[in-house]
Amino acid sequence: MIDFVAVEQGLALLFSSFSPWMVVVPGIVIGLIFGATPGLQISMAMAIFLPMTLYMDFVQAMLFLTAIFTGGSFGSGIPAILMNIPGTSSAIATAFDGYPMARQGKHNQALGVALVSSVLGTLMGYVILFVMIQPLSLMVLKLGPAEMFAVILWGMTLIASLKGEQVLKGLMAGFVGLLIGTIGFNELGMARGTMGQTYLLDGVPVIPAMMGMFAASELFKLANKGFIVESKASRKVKLGEIFQGFKLAVRYPWVMIRGGLIGVFVGAVPGVGSSVSNLLSYVETQRRDEDPDSFGKGNPKGVVASESANSTSEAGSMATLLALGIPGGGATAVMLAAFAMHNITGGPQFIRQQTDVVYAIIFANFAQVFLLLVIGLLFIPLLANIIKVPMRYLIPSVLVLAVMGSFGLTGNMTGPVTVLVFAVVGWIFRHYGYSVPAAVIGMLLGAMAEKSLLHSYQISGGDLSYVLERPVTLLILALLLVSLFGKRLLGLVRGRKTAAGA
Amino acid sequence: MTANKRDYGDLLVLMALAGFTLWYLLDAIRVSSAVQNLLLILPLSLVVLTIVALEVGMRLKKGTLLIREEREGEPLHRTLPVVGLFAAYVLSLETLGFDVATVLFIAAFLVLKGERHWPLLGGYSLAFGFGVAFFFAQMLPYPMHMLILPG
Repeated sequence: MIDFVAVEQGLALLFSSFSPWMVVVPGIVIGLIFGATPGLQISMAMAIFLPMTLYMDFVQAMLFLTAIFTGGSFGSGIPAILMNIPGTSSAIATAFDGYPMARQGKHNQALGVALVSSVLGTLMGYVILFVMIQPLSLMVLKLGPAEMFAVILWGMTLIASLKGEQVLKGLMAGFVGLLIGTIGFNELGMARGTMGQTYLLDGVPVIPAMMGMFAASELFKLANKGFIVESKASRKVKLGEIFQGFKLAVRYPWVMIRGGLIGVFVGAVPGVGSSVSNLLSYVETQRRDEDPDSFGKGNPKGVVASESANSTSEAGSMATLLALGIPGGGATAVMLAAFAMHNITGGPQFIRQQTDVVYAIIFANFAQVFLLLVIGLLFIPLLANIIKVPMRYLIPSVLVLAVMGSFGLTGNMTGPVTVLVFAVVGWIFRHYGYSVPAAVIGMLLGAMAEKSLLHSYQISGGDLSYVLERPVTLLILALLLVSLFGKRLLGLVRGRKTAAGA
Repeated sequence: MTANKRDYGDLLVLMALAGFTLWYLLDAIRVSSAVQNLLLILPLSLVVLTIVALEVGMRLKKGTLLIREEREGEPLHRTLPVVGLFAAYVLSLETLGFDVATVLFIAAFLVLKGERHWPLLGGYSLAFGFGVAFFFAQMLPYPMHMLILPG
């Protein structure tokens, strides 16, 4: 199950020089800042700082990005607890009980509970990933291009259909994103949709496009706010009480383990991730509790459930990224871009051939969680103040970083212009309820989807019955249909039963 | 708090998505009508166009083709000056250079958003704008157009 030779090589990769570790502390700090600032997403931080990874080797780049991820998953809980404003959607459930705790004057304990739950959750997630990554890769190795295409389609459908009533708009955004992802040369050397522009021959520059869609468009939305949090009420942070929160969190190991398991498995499903896992874990913990009415009124178990689930989701989405090369959400979509920048394709071959690198990433995350504990403690008082920075200073500064970073990626004006174009597209999409993550992930996966489909076509010779001989493909396609129409069918069946019973 | 009001924008976005899809499909067919070239693009385009037709059909049925349920958030026109300023910044980079354009963008943004503490405004724009431009110019392996600072 565990390749011990690769384990040794992975450790050697990490500890033969100090350079991989130099990026971890800045990464965690960046993640904490972006996570703790409502409106600034973890994926936004990763997209903005992605160009910096050009100058790093692959392991160092992954350490930097996972450090942002780890820092961000805890950081997002801070404003959720202090101001009832989740830093990101992964901390929504943290606010349910964290904020009532703060209102009762227990905000220090709540922050301590959140920090320990995040640290232990991330650790648990990566332990599961460490044990499972080999069997997962062996299983995934049996998948051919037809299965890969079906998985991409399923993932896209899941991501696009998350927004409930806006399913059609989500699907449209995702599928148009897929189409944009195929612009430029295909595998047969035919250039489509380039409008005669040579800079589009290699396709739309995805990373600047992502910076525009995720970061710039979100900042436009916040442009008319004076402050993210208008309240001037100062909130003192006391370390002693945070330590009391540590003790409080470890009193509920089962809540943490359940949250962790939910986080890792839900996180592995493309498009679902920590935004759903924290809610699921919270609901499940409340449902199983002896006193469900105490939830929403400052029960620390609610904070433990949410934070442990959103932290383990990181490892879950990393499993999908490493094993299938498919991003589970915005943050791992940026990581996929980092893979591409280093000419690395995630997937079964990557795990098999570069097991040492995969283990190095996992081990580095074991260490990162302890660094998060220390840095989190040091930064909590400071981070509580960052949300008081006026938006008029924050927005242009972040926009400038995005423009400079995109120029760094392309070496010409294509990068900044792409940021601008997709910032406007993202701004309009957000305003009219189209899913921005679906569009971005579509753009990232477009070329891969076309390649998988082309290879399947070449293998099968164009015979559609080939699909019928692939049970896994059929299963994935069935899951796709269930995720699209399952809810509606269930509703219909229930409706008929009710009508029959009446 | 939600309210319904007439809004052509939503329909325009739908039409733009359909228009892009149709144009891209035709462009791909123009390049080559071989199955290998259209394997993904043709079915995907048809799915997008079908979804657009479905969405339009559903709205026509509900009588809400030009009515959008207004969600909480800023109306587009209130954000437009910021978007325009950002566009001007990006498009002026080649003329004004990354250094001067950045300083002017930050200063203009601060003025637009009501900053009237002039020393702070000037100081921050100059320090951040020149600082970031200089940092990137030193870090990147290719030349960055600058008006004042070394590129």
